[in-house]
Amino acid sequence: MAGVTLTGVSKRFGGVAVIRNLSLDIAAREFVVFLGPSGCGKSTLLRMIAGLETVDEGEIRIGDRRVDTLPPGERGVAMVFQHYALYPHMTIRDNMAFGLRNIGTAADEIAARVEAAAQSLEIGHLLDRKPGQLSGGQRQRVAIARAIVKQPELFLFDEPLSNLDAALRVRTRLELAQLHQRLGTTMIFVTHDQVEAMTLADRIVVLNDGRVEQVGTPMDIYLRPASLFVATFVGSPTINLLPGKVSDAGGATLVTLADGTKLQTAVSMAGLAPGDTTIGLRAEHVRVAEGGAVEARARVVERLGERTLVHVELADGSPLVAEDAGISQARAGDTVRLAINAAAAHLFDADGRGHHAAG
Amino acid sequence: MRSQNRVAIALVVIAGVLMLVPMLWVLALSLKSNAALMVDTNSVFDGVFTLENYAAILGDGQVFRWIGNSLIVSLGMTAGVLALSSLAGYGFARLEFPGRNILFVIVLLGLAVPEQAVIIARHQLFSWAGWHNTYPALIIPGLAAPFGVFLMTQYFRAIPKELDEAAMLDSASRFTVFWKVLLPLTIPAQATLGIFTFLSAWNDYWWPLISATNKQMFTLTVGIASTQMNFAQTEGLGFLMAQAVFAGAPILIVYLFFQKYIVQAVAGAAGR
Repeated sequence: MAGVTLTGVSKRFGGVAVIRNLSLDIAAREFVVFLGPSGCGKSTLLRMIAGLETVDEGEIRIGDRRVDTLPPGERGVAMVFQHYALYPHMTIRDNMAFGLRNIGTAADEIAARVEAAAQSLEIGHLLDRKPGQLSGGQRQRVAIARAIVKQPELFLFDEPLSNLDAALRVRTRLELAQLHQRLGTTMIFVTHDQVEAMTLADRIVVLNDGRVEQVGTPMDIYLRPASLFVATFVGSPTINLLPGKVSDAGGATLVTLADGTKLQTAVSMAGLAPGDTTIGLRAEHVRVAEGGAVEARARVVERLGERTLVHVELADGSPLVAEDAGISQARAGDTVRLAINAAAAHLFDADGRGHHAAG
Repeated sequence: MRSQNRVAIALVVIAGVLMLVPMLWVLALSLKSNAALMVDTNSVFDGVFTLENYAAILGDGQVFRWIGNSLIVSLGMTAGVLALSSLAGYGFARLEFPGRNILFVIVLLGLAVPEQAVIIARHQLFSWAGWHNTYPALIIPGLAAPFGVFLMTQYFRAIPKELDEAAMLDSASRFTVFWKVLLPLTIPAQATLGIFTFLSAWNDYWWPLISATNKQMFTLTVGIASTQMNFAQTEGLGFLMAQAVFAGAPILIVYLFFQKYIVQAVAGAAGR
């Protein structure tokens, strides 16, 4: 199994810089997810690793081999495409065998590998069918099996779950996690779905406008977002962001909101200048509570079963999402009181850099 | 809705019958003796038929030579057009090279040049090469098929590029991608193009008439026309009609076998 090293990689399409001087190390056996909005360059980066896009600057290594000058077929990678890209005129067996035939693998070995991969993905009964005769979920499995059969050093997944319905997506996500545990192969997975990223990744690479915003474990990304962009992109519902003034209150960092509410955070003043700031509060840290210090008016109440999201408006009109128990008394139009856990707050300076409580 | 359907079906049936009547008339006349038709074509309705006109055609040994020539020319042209149009279509759809778009426009402009405009130059070219009265002379001019290149280019463009990419990751060479992945997916377009090329080559009269002056190199259309004497319509009407049926039969057979593709092609052309 091989790791992947990107060093100073750049890519332009015409005059538009899509990837800007990007460097990244991915360890062998790691499951890394490239996460970002549409157009952030995540798929382009994956395609550069695969060899489907050229690299304008920098170098890509898989293991200790420099691969950015090699054609896709010589890089030792297998890719699962968003639309599966199964060859429609070939049977599933031929789809899976095609790559092995092209590199001259012996027929009996091809047959054995196809059988093994088909068994592991429970598609043995589909081998003599054609892709057009399969459901979306079955095609997805075949696409994964076609990748497995090549026994690559590196798996690349380009938004492979986006065409599946919600239930199938959850199941396939779980199966992918199990596949990674079983094979132990390095995997890179591209998605714009933060839930996929959080549930699958050993590490997430958050991309924005061709640059790496943050690299970290899922909980790192969630609990210690490096920037305003990461904080807003990861987490559902979206993190609450309120403007405020930060000041040093005898060692503690105090944030005064526009409506005058004062919140004492656990963030250190080191690295923070007194003055304007943006405070970030996840919904779970803003609870609807009878004795809460802050008054607000409920606008919309979303009952999700295990919890309730209450969209409220503060006295100065600032919108906020608060959380309540699954069985909530709150109704739209009610005046509610909020208990804010300011110790869990994140602060963002004028450049959008995140500052968090230690630990 | 249902009554509208009935009206539409009735109109289609009437149109079909109207188109069929002349053909049935030709077939009926071809089964009558020339002598009877000289008297009155209404003798068709007297119920006496004969195969003597077909016997006369088949009695001329050269007919089989002409059928052979037509087959060689039509199949050769069809194979050539399919091969060249597929390669050119793949090139225009998938390869990046300088001047690609201009070259494609030039190819399309070929659709606007009528055969009549180039026939003298073509004749001189083949005379200079000494190719008249050869199969290449009858086949090669038909290989320049702008419509074929256009059709195949559009068809290749419609195939998702992800398939090329998946194949490249499967270690396929560019030729393998073309031959084993993309070309099999263009079979419907190939069938359409092949049928139309075959039919137009089989029916072609003008160029074979100009290029083939040796009877041995006549195609069926030119050969049959050459057997007609003056006043054929009055003296040998039955024979003339039998020739028409004979020349049209292969087209009918092709149509019966490839009906599905022809309908798809026409429907596809209408939909685009």
